[in-house]
Amino acid sequence: MLMNETKTYEQLIEENEHLSRQLEEATDTIHAIRTGQVDALVVEGKDGHQLYTLKTADQTYRVFIETMNEGAVTLNSAGLIVYCNSMFASMVGLPLSMVIGMSFSEFVAPQSAQAFVDLFEEGWTDDNKIELLIRGQHNLIPCQLSVNALELDEGISLSMILTDLTMQKANQQLLEQNIEQLAQTNVALEVSNHDLLQFASVASHDLQEPLRKIQIFAGMLKNKHTGELPDDSVKHLEKIIDSSNRMKTMIVDILTYSRLSTNADAFTPTDLNDIIADVLNDFDLLITEKKAVVRVDELPTIEVNRGQIRQVFQNLISNAIKFSRPDTRPELTIRGELKSDNESNQETKPAYCCIQISDNGIGFDEQYAEKVFSLFQRLNTKEAYEGSGIGLAITKRIIDRHHGTIKAQSKEGEGATFSIKLPVFQYDYSTKT
Amino acid sequence: MTTQLKHKILLAEDDSDDAFFFFDFLSNRPDVDLLPSVTNGVEVIDYLDGIGSSDDLPDVIVLDQNMPKLSGKETLESIKSNAKYGNIAVAIYSTYVGPQLVDECLQLGAAIVETKPATKEGYNKMMDAILEAV
Repeated sequence: MLMNETKTYEQLIEENEHLSRQLEEATDTIHAIRTGQVDALVVEGKDGHQLYTLKTADQTYRVFIETMNEGAVTLNSAGLIVYCNSMFASMVGLPLSMVIGMSFSEFVAPQSAQAFVDLFEEGWTDDNKIELLIRGQHNLIPCQLSVNALELDEGISLSMILTDLTMQKANQQLLEQNIEQLAQTNVALEVSNHDLLQFASVASHDLQEPLRKIQIFAGMLKNKHTGELPDDSVKHLEKIIDSSNRMKTMIVDILTYSRLSTNADAFTPTDLNDIIADVLNDFDLLITEKKAVVRVDELPTIEVNRGQIRQVFQNLISNAIKFSRPDTRPELTIRGELKSDNESNQETKPAYCCIQISDNGIGFDEQYAEKVFSLFQRLNTKEAYEGSGIGLAITKRIIDRHHGTIKAQSKEGEGATFSIKLPVFQYDYSTKT
Repeated sequence: MTTQLKHKILLAEDDSDDAFFFFDFLSNRPDVDLLPSVTNGVEVIDYLDGIGSSDDLPDVIVLDQNMPKLSGKETLESIKSNAKYGNIAVAIYSTYVGPQLVDECLQLGAAIVETKPATKEGYNKMMDAILEAV
């Protein structure tokens, strides 16, 4: 501990040097005041720099120059520094008195020397700005330098303002690094996405080959030998055919699901009534067969990918009819309305379209409301209700790609309601992303 | 009894099971005459080049898309660019038929692009569609 308080020889030498510099500075200042070279001076005291002005000086201006964050320097026609503020002195790490009288070019880094020579030549006639490197105490400081020629009593001089760009440069570099990193991540993502699509496509395609053969050979066996085979064996053959048919549906659905991200999203204003009418037309036979009652409200026109939204309604309507209670006549209601972004302010333009599809079918336990949208999630045995388990996953993915939301509400045995919220216009998103 | 026009059909199929299905399900049709099948696109071109009289050329060529050496699409291109047999109707069929394959093949002059069926009825429907398209 004591060691710290005892000063070493080197420290004493340094302190001595510092004191003689201060003395030299004071002597210089007195000399300068005496000869009328300066009308204000800055003294470094316990409370930092303090400014003393002579009566003739414009004090407000001096204080302003002295306290600003930029370096301020005035050069005479020979390029010597006739005035500078303490910010500039601290930038170059020398006492103010020492800086005054030096040639400014001594503080310019070699790589900026030519630029400064040019600026110094032109600066007397044209205001100008350049970026250059200034020699600091330990490092080079990137600065913006702006010059103006000033007519003073003593003659014309060049006033220069230096803005330290170190922080700005560092931020810029950081930003560039981040952008670079993002670009790399993006490329990696694209590659992995491409691989995934390739995989889904190859897997689906190659899986279909052997599956088709199972279907055909099983069909051949059944058709050619029905009479000869025991009942059990015919049943087993039918199981093989049913299973392979189901697998075929799944493979086609997976392919559809994976392809949803490849197709460029083309959103066009579409009358949802047309799509619903189209889908109901497809289900005509099933609706008649099940004696289903379908009520459809007037729906709005919004910007969608027609083919994809058609698939959404197809899946939801198909589910509503499929998951009906055996003893009850299926009832299906489709409602839609436009809503503004801000619910309290009815004046604003409608931003969202809310669609509800409700049925009176078997429903499901509310705790599975999220799960129903997962791939291969089934809540019922496939014996009772056939399907690939991908339909609602496809539905959710399409709604996601339309920047919308879909929610399921239900109680077991009391029907289900699917609520979709879709933006009316898609362009906001496409310009942002 | 009306004499029905029999379309001479050449099948290019590298998969022996698929060739078997094609013959088993379609050989009884009165409107087709199935020529012995070949197993890839190169053989199709060799077969066509080897025929002396244009009367002996097939009426329809059915090409599997996924074949070694020359794919269905590539074989189609070779056939259509040939003066001697460029007019023969070509059908392409494949396990998976995407919109891109359909567009490309029709652009190259295919009469029809079909998905490989999974039943006997499917095969017959496919052949009906092919004969209607040529």
